[in-house]
Amino acid sequence: MPDRVSVRVPEIGTAVRAAVADDPTSSRERFLRRAVVAGGTLVLGGVVVAGLPRLAASAAQSAEQDAEIFNFALLLEYMQAAFYGEAVERAELTGELLEFATVVTEHERAHVEYLRDALGGDARAEPTTDFGEATADPDAFGAAAVTLEDVAVAAYNGQAGNLTKGALRAAATIISVDARHAAWIRSIVGESPAAQAVDEPLSAEAASARLDKTGFLVER
Amino acid sequence: MREMRETTTIHDIPGLACEDLDRDGALREAADELGRTSRAGFFGALAGGLAAAVALGRPSAAGAALAKGDVAILNYALILEYLQDSFYTEAERKGALSGPAARLTRVVGAVERAHVKALRGVLGKRAVARPFFNFRGVTEDQPAFVRTAVAFEDLAVAAYKGQAHLIRSPEVLAAAVGIHSVEARHAAWIRYIAGTTPAAEPFDDGKTRAQTLALVRSTRFVVGRPRTSSTRAPRFTG
Repeated sequence: MPDRVSVRVPEIGTAVRAAVADDPTSSRERFLRRAVVAGGTLVLGGVVVAGLPRLAASAAQSAEQDAEIFNFALLLEYMQAAFYGEAVERAELTGELLEFATVVTEHERAHVEYLRDALGGDARAEPTTDFGEATADPDAFGAAAVTLEDVAVAAYNGQAGNLTKGALRAAATIISVDARHAAWIRSIVGESPAAQAVDEPLSAEAASARLDKTGFLVER
Repeated sequence: MREMRETTTIHDIPGLACEDLDRDGALREAADELGRTSRAGFFGALAGGLAAAVALGRPSAAGAALAKGDVAILNYALILEYLQDSFYTEAERKGALSGPAARLTRVVGAVERAHVKALRGVLGKRAVARPFFNFRGVTEDQPAFVRTAVAFEDLAVAAYKGQAHLIRSPEVLAAAVGIHSVEARHAAWIRYIAGTTPAAEPFDDGKTRAQTLALVRSTRFVVGRPRTSSTRAPRFTG
């Protein structure tokens, strides 16, 4: 529903950008120091920075932290959108898997668009991905989709407390859709759709490690 | 306290039928296609999730420091969890469901009971009492059960989502978002069983407390005093 997206995007995009602009003590500079450096790790001022949101539970929420978290979320959404989009394009899947891939591609593209608009000029670049046969082989596709969706849910949940209230409100509208995707693909492949009473969160580091483990990320 | 009165004295309000909760109108009868869930895997994982949920109830988290607003939100969540817990528990006890819907009832019922236990643990003496429910035979009628379960789960997702940004305690927020995404998984699961799309839109909207409670009232499942929950003659299976 493109109109729904366009209604929401300016709301949070303006909020994030205005908050960054309103901070003349250069929250932007601090943000950039923590920003992603393509393909590598940046060391600045003795702090190892790999483009991941800070995770100290006590860290105060801020617009620049929202931007970091949204950029990490954007990495996840870019991966998902590329993955499903490629699967649909290759047209090797059939039946329920194809239906799932088709519907979810549109959702993930909407999430990408939403986050990019919210981040404006601070939005990270699209990562380079290589999904191999996972976008064609039904078993590999199912397993990869379960991983991508479960990791996305856990990663968003892990950042909920680090987001400002406005950003949390926006993120929550995405989290449950990714959780629905997770349960949907799990239903299709015969795994328990809801395996726990409470979904356990993942730290940004742990979520990032899970993404690396897929081997799909050629360059961040 | 206001929350409690609001939900326990509403039984005589002429309301809408539960079908009105199903606003997309796309629900169909249960499709027996989900015969592949691994119970062993589920119950193994459930133990971990339960531990996390119950850990919420530790005295350190349940201390008097809980903000007034958080107590109200937790009690509101508790009422919704009571509703779901009672619904699935009754369905399981009646034993009239079959196939994937019966399996879902066992699994989701256990999870909703865990949510109730965790929320009551956090709230301690401030927990609202369980209202009385009368599901009017829905727990014994498979198509009606599936339709209602879809409505309940979608409602729970929207309700938790509507509160997340209002929660002050980081511990309560962490638990609430973890429950929120589980409710979304349940919603997708029962929708899959119902043969309707598990994820209808790219963004899920939240609902306010007033919107949610109005919908709950409209079901007329909350009653002021105990009644038998079935409108039918007893089933004799022996």
